Amino acid sequence: MNLKSERRGIHVDQSELLCKKGCGYYGNPAWQGFCSKCWREEYHRARQKQIQEDWELAERLQREEEEAYASSQSTQGAQSLTFSKFEEKKTNEKTRKVTTVKKFFTASSRTGAKKVAQEKIVKQGQLGRERNADNILRDLKEIFTPSWELASPTEAEIQEAKAPSPSINRQASIETDRVSKEFIEFLKTYHKPGQDIYKQCKLFLDTMNHKRDLSIEEQSECAQDFYQNVAEKLQTRWKVPPEKVEKAMDQIEKYIMTRQYKYVFCPETTDDEKKDLAVQKRIRALHWVTPQMLCVPVNEEIPEVSDMVVKAITDIIEMDSKRVPRDKLACITKCSKHIFNAIKITKNEPASADDFLPTLIYIVLKGNPPRLQSNIQYITRFCNPSRLMTGEDGYYFTNLCCAVAFIEKLDAQSLNLSQEDFDRFMTGQTSPKKQESDSFSPDVCLGVKQMYKNLDLLSQLNERQERIVNEAKKLEKDLIDWTDGITKEVQDIVEKYPLEIKPKNQALAAIDSENVENDKLPPPLQPQVYAG
Amino acid sequence: MAQQAMPDTSLGQMRPTYIYKVVLLGSTSVGKSSLAYRYVKNDFKESLPTVGCSFFTQTLNLEVATVRFEIWDTAGQEKYHSVCHLYYRGAHAALLVYDISNKETLNRAKLWLRDLEKEFLPDEIVIALVGNKTDLAAEREVATEEGEEFARTKDLLFMETSAKSNHQVNDIFMAIGELCDSSS
Repeated sequence: MNLKSERRGIHVDQSELLCKKGCGYYGNPAWQGFCSKCWREEYHRARQKQIQEDWELAERLQREEEEAYASSQSTQGAQSLTFSKFEEKKTNEKTRKVTTVKKFFTASSRTGAKKVAQEKIVKQGQLGRERNADNILRDLKEIFTPSWELASPTEAEIQEAKAPSPSINRQASIETDRVSKEFIEFLKTYHKPGQDIYKQCKLFLDTMNHKRDLSIEEQSECAQDFYQNVAEKLQTRWKVPPEKVEKAMDQIEKYIMTRQYKYVFCPETTDDEKKDLAVQKRIRALHWVTPQMLCVPVNEEIPEVSDMVVKAITDIIEMDSKRVPRDKLACITKCSKHIFNAIKITKNEPASADDFLPTLIYIVLKGNPPRLQSNIQYITRFCNPSRLMTGEDGYYFTNLCCAVAFIEKLDAQSLNLSQEDFDRFMTGQTSPKKQESDSFSPDVCLGVKQMYKNLDLLSQLNERQERIVNEAKKLEKDLIDWTDGITKEVQDIVEKYPLEIKPKNQALAAIDSENVENDKLPPPLQPQVYAG
Repeated sequence: MAQQAMPDTSLGQMRPTYIYKVVLLGSTSVGKSSLAYRYVKNDFKESLPTVGCSFFTQTLNLEVATVRFEIWDTAGQEKYHSVCHLYYRGAHAALLVYDISNKETLNRAKLWLRDLEKEFLPDEIVIALVGNKTDLAAEREVATEEGEEFARTKDLLFMETSAKSNHQVNDIFMAIGELCDSSS
C-alpha cells in the first residue's frame, strides 16, 4: 500500500490530493477525498439523514396501516388493502435487489476488492486517465456502499452474510411482516403510548443492529435493559394500567424477538451448537433407560396415558420451531400440563414435584428435543426476565433446566444400577430390555409390545422346531443304527451257527432211536371187535 | 429485595403488590405438596385439583401491601439434590420441611440449608424450618425442642405444622409474608 501511494503521488497532480471541499487541507481516499474534518461533517449529515429516513419509513408504515385499517372498516377496504400491499411488496423487492447487489460486491473480501480497485487506479493513472478512474471508484463506492457505512463497516453486510438460505429468509420475512402488522394493530389500542412504544422498539432494533459484533452476553444485557426500561416507562411515564403493561410487554417481546431471532439464536460466537450436539449424543447413549429406573409414576399401558406422553413429547419438540422466547415457554408449559395429566391418570391423585421432575426427565430422554441447549440459552438470554424468575412458565422452565442438568450428570447411582451394569448399558454391550423381557413394561407402546411378544413366541417356536429337527435326525440315525445292528447280529449268529441241513429220514427215525426203555412199554392197544 | 410488580393504580389505592417466590425444600413424602396445597386450597386432598400440584399462587392482603406468593414445589429425592440450586435462584423465601416422625428428614433439611447458605447472603432470603405431620405425634422421632434449638442457632423461622389437620399452616406462610415484607 505504501509503495502504491508513493507511486501514485508521483503521477498525481497536487490538486488531486487536496480535500474535495476545497478547504485547503489534504484529502484522503479513505474519506472519499475529503479531509478528516470535512469527512466527519459529511458523515454526520448522512447519518442524520438515514435516521430521519428511518423515522419517516416507520411513520409511513404506521400511517399505511392505519389507512388500511380505516378503509377495511369502510366497505371498499379490500381494494386499497391490496394496493398498499402491492406498494409494500414493491419496496420490499427494491430493497432486496439493492442488498443482493451489495452482497455480490462484498462477497469477495472487502480489502481485496479495495486493493484491486486501487491498483486499477494506479495503472490507469499511469496512462494519464487517473481522474476518470477516480470518478469510477467514487461512483462504485457510492453505488455499493452508502458513504456512512465506509467509516464504520458493515453491520448490514455481516447480517447479510450470516443470513441462512434465501428461501428460509423469505419465509422468515413473511412472518416478520405479519408480526409487525399485528404489533402495529395491537399498539393502536394504546393510542399515544402505542406510538411511543413503537419508536422505542425501532430505536432498540437499530442499536442492536450496531451491536452485532458484541458478545452474546452483552447483547442479552441490552435486551434485558430494554425490557426493564420499557416496563418502567409504561408504568410511570405513560400510565398504562398494570394488566395492560403485561400484555404490552408480551407483544413487544414478540415484535423485537421475531426480528432478532436469526442473529441471536445459537450464534456462531458461542459454543451453543457444540453443547446441543453433546446433549443430543448423551440422550442417544441413554436410550436404554426405562421408566422403572427413573421411578417414573406413569403407566403407559393405559392408552390415555400413552396418549398424554406422546403429546408431551410433541410439545417439547415443537419448542424449537418457535421464534419468540415466550412461545417457547408456552410449549414447555403445555408439555408439563400433559405430564401432570399422565401422572394423574396413572396414580389417580394429583402429581407433586417429586413425581413431575422424573417424568419430565423421562420425556426429554424419550423425545430428544432438537437444539435443547440453544433453546434454553436463548430463552434465558432474551426472555422478559419477569417471566423467567416467577410465574408458572418460569417454574416449568426451571424444571426443564433441572432435567437437562440431571441428564448431563446422570450416573449409575441415580438410576439405582451397579456401575458395571451402567457401563455395559452405556457401551451397548447389553440392553436391559433383553434381560427382563417379561417386564419391559410401560415405556413401549402397545404395538411394539405386541411385536416383542410375537418375537418372543417366534424365537420359542424356532427353538422347538430345531429341537424337533434334531430329534428327528437322531431318530433317523437310531433307526439306521438299529437295522445295521440287527443285520450285524444276525450275520454274527449265522456265522456262529452255520445252517446245516441233515437228511430228512434219519432225522425222523432218530426221534426215538435213543429211547432204550421202548421195549419195556406195553404193547399198543389193538382194536378189538365186540360182537354185539 | 422483593420484586415490586406494579403499584395498583387502577383501584386508586397506593397499595403496592409484591410477588414473593417461595421454594419448598424437603425429602420425599415429608408433605411439601400437601402443605402448600392445604395453604392454597385449604383442603387436604379431599377433592382433586385440576392438574399439577407443584406450582401454586396465593394472594395475601397485608396491612400495607398486597402480597402474592408463588410457591415452587421441588423434587425431594436425593438424586436430584445436585440440580436443586436451579430452583431457588431468585427466591425470596425457602421452607425447609421435615417430618417429625422421621429423624433422617431433618438431617436432609440441614443439607439444604447448607446449600442455601452458599447461594444467598443471610439477609437475602427468609428461611423457615417446618416440622410437618404433628398429627403423627405418637411416632415422633424429633422433639420440638430439637427443631427449635437448631432453628435458633441458624436464625431461622421455626414452626411445627400439620397439613392433615390444618395446624399452623396459614401461620407459617403469614409469618414468611411479614418477614419478606419487612426486609424488602
